[in-house]
Amino acid sequence: MNAIWTIAKKEYQLAFRSVTSYIVFMLFLVISGAAFATTVFKIDLAELRGIYGFIHLLFVFFIPAITMGSIAKERSSGTIELLSTLPIRLSQVVWGKILSAFLQVLTLLAFCLVYLGIIMVLGENIDYGATIMGFTGLVFVALAYISIGVFASSLPSNQVLAFVLALVISGFFYGIRYILVLMPLSVVRYLQFFSFEYHLSNFSKGVLDIRDLLFFVAVALIFAFLAEFNLQSKNMMQER
Amino acid sequence: MIEIKNLSRHFGALKAVDEISFSVGSGTITGFLGPNGAGKTTTMRMMVGYLQPSAGSILLDGISIFADPIATSTKIGYLPEQNPLYDEMITEEILRYIADLRKMPTALFTERLAYVVENCGLQDVLTQRVGTLSKGYRQRVGLAMAILHDPEILILDEPTSGLDPNQILEIRELIRKLGTKKTVLLSSHIMQEVQALCDRVLIINKGKIIVDDEIGKLSSYFKDYQLLHLELEAENVDFSEFLEYHPELEVISQTQEGESFKMQIRIPAELDIKYDLARFIAENGWLIVSLYAQQKSLEEIFHNLTKGGETAPEPALEALPEEAEEDEGGLKL
Repeated sequence: MNAIWTIAKKEYQLAFRSVTSYIVFMLFLVISGAAFATTVFKIDLAELRGIYGFIHLLFVFFIPAITMGSIAKERSSGTIELLSTLPIRLSQVVWGKILSAFLQVLTLLAFCLVYLGIIMVLGENIDYGATIMGFTGLVFVALAYISIGVFASSLPSNQVLAFVLALVISGFFYGIRYILVLMPLSVVRYLQFFSFEYHLSNFSKGVLDIRDLLFFVAVALIFAFLAEFNLQSKNMMQER
Repeated sequence: MIEIKNLSRHFGALKAVDEISFSVGSGTITGFLGPNGAGKTTTMRMMVGYLQPSAGSILLDGISIFADPIATSTKIGYLPEQNPLYDEMITEEILRYIADLRKMPTALFTERLAYVVENCGLQDVLTQRVGTLSKGYRQRVGLAMAILHDPEILILDEPTSGLDPNQILEIRELIRKLGTKKTVLLSSHIMQEVQALCDRVLIINKGKIIVDDEIGKLSSYFKDYQLLHLELEAENVDFSEFLEYHPELEVISQTQEGESFKMQIRIPAELDIKYDLARFIAENGWLIVSLYAQQKSLEEIFHNLTKGGETAPEPALEALPEEAEEDEGGLKL
C-alpha cells in the first residue's frame, strides 16, 4: 500500500507540472461547462442527467489522454528498469498509476461540483437523489475507464498508440448501446450488461444497485490485472 | 557473493548470453569487458532481476535471486546503462522518491542523502530539475540513486560514461572506496578504467566468457611477445641482411619517406635484440631517432581476444592491431 501511495503521489504531483494536463483539464471543463450552460440556462432545465451523459462521453476521450503516458512513458524512457530493481511489486506500480489518474479525475470532477451547486441553489423541484447518485456513478465509471487506459498504456511503449488503444476499448464499452438496437432481444439481454451506459443509467435515476457498483469495480480489477499480467509476460520483474 | 551458473538468455534466435558461469566475491571490484553487443548489459539486467534468464541460475549468497525478488532488490544497487531518470523531477525529489519506494526511514534517508550528496558531488544541483542536468551530473544522480540504500552489491553499467576527467577520478575513487567493503561489478568500454579500478576482469564476447582472471595474470593468455618501434633518419635502409640472421623476427610494417624510415618488428619476449639491432644500425651509419619496445596493455589483449574468434584464449598473434599506437599509461602486464 505504501509503494502504491508513493507512486501515486509522485505521478499526481508531476501531472500538474506538465502543460499537457492543464490543456486537457481546461478543454474538459470548457466543453462540459458549455454543455451545462446550454441545458440549464438556455433550455431552463434544472437537472443534470444530460450533463452526466455528456461527461461520460467526454471521459471516453479525456481519460485515455490522462492515462496514456502512465506505463508507456516509463517504458519508452527506460525508467521501468529503475522501478523493476526496487523492492516493489508490479501490481503496486499498476495500482499506483491507477490511483494517480483517479485522483486527477477526482480533481477534475471536483470542479464539476459547481454544476451541482448551481442546480441545488438556484433550481426548483430538484431530484437530489438522482443528482448526487448520478455524480457518484461518474466517479465509478471513471475508475473503470482509468483501468482500461492504464492497461492500454502497458501494451505499447508509444503514448499515442496507447491513447488510440484506450480510446478503442473505452469506445467499445461506451458505444455498445448503439449496436444493441440492431440486435435481437434475446442477445440484448446479455450484451447490455457490458454497456457502461446501462449501469450508469441506474445511478442517474437515483437508484444505487450494488450490482452496478460491483460491475465497475470488477472491470477496473480485471483491466488492472491484465495490465500487470501483460507487464509480467514482457519479462519485467518476472515473478514479482 | 554472487554466483552465476550456466546463465543463458536468448532473444529469438539470437543468443545474447550463452551458458556463462562466474562468481563475484565480496570486497572485490570486478570489471566486465566486452565489445558492443557482447552481452554485458543483458547479463547485468538478469543479475538485477530485470530480465528473466532463458536458463541457468543466479545465486546471491547461495539463494536464487528469484526466490524472493523483493528481498534481493534491497541488497542490490544498480546503475542502468542509459541511466533513465524522471526528467520532470528535482534531484532531491528523485532521491527521496527512491528512498520512499525503498521504505527508508526519514532519519536514515537524511543521513544517506548527506553521504551521497557529498560523495557524488551533487551539492550544486540538488534543487535543479533532472531534465536540465548535464550528462555527467545525470550520471552522478544515477550513481547516487544506486548507492542510496547502502547495498551489499553494486552493479554499475558503464558508471563513468559522459563524465569529465576530474569527475571520472572522483567517481573512480568512490567506487574504489565502496569496493573495499562491497561487491562491485562494473562494465566499461574504457580499458584504463578497468586497469585502474578492478581486481578481476571478465571479458565477454558473443555471449561467452572468454577470460575470467585476476588482472595481473592476463598476460599469461598470450605467447609473450614485444613490439619494437624503430625510427631512423637515413636513406635506402635495408634490413634484409639483419632479418636473415634473425629469422624469429617478423616485420609488421615498414615505411620509407625520404630520409625518414619507420619500422615495427614483433619479437619474442625472451629475446633481447636491442644491442644487436643498434650495432647493425651503427655499422650502416644510420641515425636512430627512436627505438622502444611496447608493452602489452589490457586494451590490446581485449582487442586480440574479442576480434579473433569465439572462445579463444589462444595466443592470437595474427590478430595483432596494425596501428598499435599505444598509450604509455597502460599497465605493465
